[in-house]
Amino acid sequence: MFIQDLRQDFYNRLVGKRLLIIVNYDIDAICASKILQSLFKYDHMLYSVVPIMGLAGLQRAYNEHQGDVKFVLLINCGGCVDIVELLQPEEDVTFFICDAHRPLDVCNIYSDRQVCILGDPALEENIPAFESIFCQSEDEDSENDADDDVGNDSGAGGSDEEGSEKAQQPPAHKLSRLERHEQRIIKQRQRRTWENERDRIMFEYTQYSFYGRSTALTIFELAWKLSKDNMDLLWWAIVGLTEQLILGKIESSAYTLEIEHVQSHVSRLTNKTNDQSNTSASKINFENDLHLVLYRHWSVVESMRYSMYCACKMRLWTLRGEKRLHELLVEMGLPLVQARQMFSAMDLVLRQEFYKMLEKLAEKYGIPDIVYGSFTLNYGYRNRYAAADYVYGMLAILESVKKDKTPEDCFLEALDSLSRNHRDIMLEGIENAKLLLSSIFKQVQSSLEAHQVLSTGTFFYYILTEENTYFSYPYGLTLLAKFILNGHVAGSRSRQAPELPLIASCPVDVERGLCLLVGIPPVREDSPKNFFGKAFEQAASKCNAVILQDFFDSSLIQIRQNDMAKFLDALTVLLA
Amino acid sequence: MAKSNKMFADKAFELIKELERSSQTIPPFDDDGVRQVLEEIKAIFEENCAQAANYSTSGDRTLWPLLNFRHAALQRNKRCLLTYLYQRLLRIKALRWEFGPIIPEDIKTSLCEPEVNFFNTYSKSLASYMRSIGDGQGIDLTGDLRPPKSLYIEVRCIVDYGKFELEDGEVIYLKKNSQHYLPRAQVETLVRQGILQHIT
Repeated sequence: MFIQDLRQDFYNRLVGKRLLIIVNYDIDAICASKILQSLFKYDHMLYSVVPIMGLAGLQRAYNEHQGDVKFVLLINCGGCVDIVELLQPEEDVTFFICDAHRPLDVCNIYSDRQVCILGDPALEENIPAFESIFCQSEDEDSENDADDDVGNDSGAGGSDEEGSEKAQQPPAHKLSRLERHEQRIIKQRQRRTWENERDRIMFEYTQYSFYGRSTALTIFELAWKLSKDNMDLLWWAIVGLTEQLILGKIESSAYTLEIEHVQSHVSRLTNKTNDQSNTSASKINFENDLHLVLYRHWSVVESMRYSMYCACKMRLWTLRGEKRLHELLVEMGLPLVQARQMFSAMDLVLRQEFYKMLEKLAEKYGIPDIVYGSFTLNYGYRNRYAAADYVYGMLAILESVKKDKTPEDCFLEALDSLSRNHRDIMLEGIENAKLLLSSIFKQVQSSLEAHQVLSTGTFFYYILTEENTYFSYPYGLTLLAKFILNGHVAGSRSRQAPELPLIASCPVDVERGLCLLVGIPPVREDSPKNFFGKAFEQAASKCNAVILQDFFDSSLIQIRQNDMAKFLDALTVLLA
Repeated sequence: MAKSNKMFADKAFELIKELERSSQTIPPFDDDGVRQVLEEIKAIFEENCAQAANYSTSGDRTLWPLLNFRHAALQRNKRCLLTYLYQRLLRIKALRWEFGPIIPEDIKTSLCEPEVNFFNTYSKSLASYMRSIGDGQGIDLTGDLRPPKSLYIEVRCIVDYGKFELEDGEVIYLKKNSQHYLPRAQVETLVRQGILQHIT
């Protein structure tokens, strides 16, 4: 069931109740939960926030709280699985789902009471009609009967039941045995075609996994409707939205549409606080920004080299690429001394003109898409962050799992880093993000030079054989895989290359022989729709490999190292 | 009596400085130091007595300034001792507000007998006062030492605690790394025990 009026059907229903909030490990979800928490604080509503990773975590978290809570909110998780089936909740428990993962499970959509999805059904794409995928239960009964009968007919000793059923039939409805048989066959055939049709519809519906609207933004609009929005909440929503763009979860056109809404919120809130503002108050600006990672906190050369878009277009891992980068810098009039030091320490004039210079030359150097609209946050006299800086910082915090630091600790740290009084955590995250990005680049460079990206004809694959502090985690591996695919395609002469997807894998647990496997859609495909979820499932069932589809992102799986070769073979056959 | 570079009342002053410097909640009672100061007082007093007796018989006024000086030193010793004891009492009072009516074992060892007695009596009178106010129901004055900003606080669970029941019957499952928003009054004790962490 979809809920459109969030204020009435979601928020007001919950006021004064206790709520369990289950949050997935992603930045969008963290931002959304942060916004919700401040909303609930205003109304003194009790809540518990539990971070989870994967389906098993969801089940465990629910089971622990089972019986104590009547309302459960799932943020960025659970939309794509049949929640009632998975958790077996009591009758009086209500689930609210706010999930950016698509496609939503049809059972959740058509649940009439227990599962409520926050969102607008008009925004969803081709949800199968109720009639086309569910048949009435009475029908099913009678047809089951029919099935039984058929079975009996073909079998040897079915006469008893046959007789009893005949006795039940009113005598007026006498049909010859042949006619009844015929009818049954017709019914059966109809049913079979209907089932085939249903399977086809369901396959089409679930074939691709993709992402819908940012959850943080949805929740922010709730705050706006409750008139409880402020600059901080808006900023968190922006960070959530930007994450979707940066990690390639949504198309840039969808992003552009959304930022128009956000921009109106920005100007509204800025005007509202204008009378009491001074230079040190927090302020959000909309401006065109560059797809250069963290360049405000890094040096220009490094930032350009480690940005995926820039590096792939200019092939910066080669000597020629390096030369071209220097050419660009020369033409921009940016001395190397300046370009190699921290951006914040560059000459003021150069800093101010940096954006314009690069924008002017972008076309010439084949990097026209480097410009995009984004938001920056100013507060105090020195603190200036782009939304993307926050995203990379939080990403690094989420991935900073160490021996004495569990993923949950990282989650809570990332949650903290959003508040302004924990600036140090964010700064540390940004430093770690630099390490992450530079090690990704080095990995890409060495693998491309060693030709480690192999092709099966239907897809590329790239397999890391050693555990790695950066790439054994979902985000790190996904970023690396995207970079490698783009880099490989940019360097490949084959005309087919842009149409092939990539599968990358990295061991996560050597002792247990587990690998993380991620599928990246082809470069040429504009939309970030990913068909690997379904493909992995089918390939695994074909070759009897045990895979663990525990992540909410279906293109990420875990697989045993021994099964890998078998699995890749099956996948090759499947995709051929 | 006075050695080359040692003054009267040095020892007593040392006692106070020591107390001031210590970072513990309350340092152990310096039995030895107090005894030495008392001895010093006694010695000064006896010398003064002898000379005063000498004066009453001979009427020799030349020793008067010395007598006055000794007396001042004696007074100073006394003041320092009193300060030492009083400062400790203040700390013991603070203990009552912080830790409740029972002294933690490790702190108890650093108190001397009369101090323990003082603590008990102070605790008793505080308790009877708290019972007498608040319309016959009594108020726990030690509950909120600082006025709370809000009725509810955001807490993070640091250890696996299990189920926790609120006064209104709501049961909350406290598991490591979960975050909750709960009534301050009811979770304050858990925060003090280090099970929950208050996040700002």
